[in-house]
Amino acid sequence: MISEEKLQILTESAKYDVSCSSSGSRRKNEGGIGNGYAAGCCHSFTPDGRCISLLKILLSNDCIFRCKYCMSRADADVPRATATPEEICTLVMDFYKRNYIEGLFLSSAVVKSPDYAMEQLVRTVKMLRTEYNFHGYIHVKGIPHADSLLAHEAAKYADRMSYNIELPSETSLKLLAPQKSKESLLLPMKQLQRETLAFRAEKRKGYFLPAGQTTQMIIGASPEPDGQILRLTQSLYRANGLKRVYYSSYVPVVQDSLLPAVGAKPMREHRLYEADWLLRFYGFSAEEIVEDDGNLSLELDPKCAWALRNPQFFPVEVNRAPLEVLLRVPGIGARSAQKILSARRYAKLGFSDLKKMRVVLKRARHFITAGGKFFGTENQAVLRGLLTAGEAQAGAVQLDFFRELQAARTALTGEL
Amino acid sequence: MIYFYDGSKPSFLTALLAAYSDDGAVLSSRSAQLGLGEKTVFVHADPQRAEKAEQRLLSYDPKCMQDLDLLLRSGADDRDKVAFDYFRLLAARKHPVRGMLAEDAAAAADDCIRRVEYEVHRFHGFVRFLESASGALYAPIAPDNDICDLLLPHFCARLAQCPFVIHDVKRKRAAVYDGTHTFTAPLDRAEVALSADEAAWQELWKKYYKSVNIPSRERLKQMRGYMPVRYWKFMPEKLGDLK
Repeated sequence: MISEEKLQILTESAKYDVSCSSSGSRRKNEGGIGNGYAAGCCHSFTPDGRCISLLKILLSNDCIFRCKYCMSRADADVPRATATPEEICTLVMDFYKRNYIEGLFLSSAVVKSPDYAMEQLVRTVKMLRTEYNFHGYIHVKGIPHADSLLAHEAAKYADRMSYNIELPSETSLKLLAPQKSKESLLLPMKQLQRETLAFRAEKRKGYFLPAGQTTQMIIGASPEPDGQILRLTQSLYRANGLKRVYYSSYVPVVQDSLLPAVGAKPMREHRLYEADWLLRFYGFSAEEIVEDDGNLSLELDPKCAWALRNPQFFPVEVNRAPLEVLLRVPGIGARSAQKILSARRYAKLGFSDLKKMRVVLKRARHFITAGGKFFGTENQAVLRGLLTAGEAQAGAVQLDFFRELQAARTALTGEL
Repeated sequence: MIYFYDGSKPSFLTALLAAYSDDGAVLSSRSAQLGLGEKTVFVHADPQRAEKAEQRLLSYDPKCMQDLDLLLRSGADDRDKVAFDYFRLLAARKHPVRGMLAEDAAAAADDCIRRVEYEVHRFHGFVRFLESASGALYAPIAPDNDICDLLLPHFCARLAQCPFVIHDVKRKRAAVYDGTHTFTAPLDRAEVALSADEAAWQELWKKYYKSVNIPSRERLKQMRGYMPVRYWKFMPEKLGDLK
């Protein structure tokens, strides 16, 4: 059994990885323990509001790389630990049996060399699948610069793999993670995508990354605007066939002159996720959501902001609008849209019906008519005020001692 | 008139037949507050009439008995009314009414069924097994709805080699998998001799739970929303937080 101390060290170094989903795999239990759960399943929730679905752990935190933002980087003064594959396997089996976890999320620092670290990961998942007969969910993190055969081998046993692109641009990557390169992250991603498609085309038995690939990037440690981040995200979905892109607001666990001293606002991360959902489930494109070098509004969600910029599309009539139009109404989500589609086959819907069906009308009422009636406001300025009511005012800035305000300067020079 | 029935499917269907044309009918399977001068009837299940009613309802909506099964599992106070109104609507319209969400009865039944199904999904994650000395697993649960046997298929598939018992301590019922067959049985209380390692694994799990948390981003309200306090009783990682 792994020691408590080791478990703590290896977990604390892994916990800033965001991905914890266990969805997308239908792996069957073949005479052992465990199976996939396509919808995904959360087993517990920690006081930070995140779910525990997978046992998220590093095989080792003993790293030779020096990524500035990382707490396990080579020159950091932190306790180091390395677990053996057997320790990880028994831990997974016993946690899984007790229904604590849905599977394993295995990652590792770059121990000795990228190839060595990746080899250890592959050895562990292979052992878990073949010797321990475990058929639950396994997510393996890819190590950049490792041999492509190792990535292929890992993909045979894992349900999902991910290469973290870490930072939204090559310049920032060079600056903050000098030993990683864009190619070392994107090429294996492409390789696995090709191999997955080939595997599916051949209709062979068995599994090859049934839950696909994901990636993660840190937000707020480097200066890229949201527009650039969302375009990158969109291309990752479209060209690289990723299942998810995760954003992680930068948390200053490490002090470095190249890194900002304060963490990114959680709201920014939240807005990026909202925009990400619009890309994946609501038929939006990145270009519609935000301009190239722009940032998402913090006080308005991206769908609301889009609707305010495009008043020519509204209001829409809930009794006639097709699904893709309903999905673009602020406040109406996938579930409400489905409810409306279902209910309007039987009766003409009015506002009281929508309320009964628990369609949230706080925002939606300004953008829809129900049975020809409109209960919102059409005045754009008032509408904007209503939608951001109770939230921070647009354009309000925290006063800064060192920032010269226009008025203050003119007051000093007597030009007022 | 209040129609009391015992909460089972045949007795519900018998009560439905009896109460169908009574405008002021109230169905109840639990104790109810009686109004002054209120009349009550105790409906006993009549298998033949129930079967006939079932066939008729199935001809209107082939999936309606799954709805009834889930509705009767609900622990909500108003579930008798919800089920009665839903089936009365179905009988009146003579076609599936599931999607008629602008109708109160259909919307209420949809909500009620969704709650039961959601709890089943939640318990796929929230069940915590204890390993007994014999290697069999035992999990006590106290769900809002009567769902312990609905959890069986999920856990049988993944723990195929391992016998287990899921014990609903609230309803004193257990869903059992003996390695080949599944069944449910009444079970008042269980004495389980735990395996030698059980306590150590629980400690390790608590350590993991504590380590994976990011203390600087505390969001307790969100945690409680996803994992309500009433479920914590049987989760080793949350026991310490229960006052």
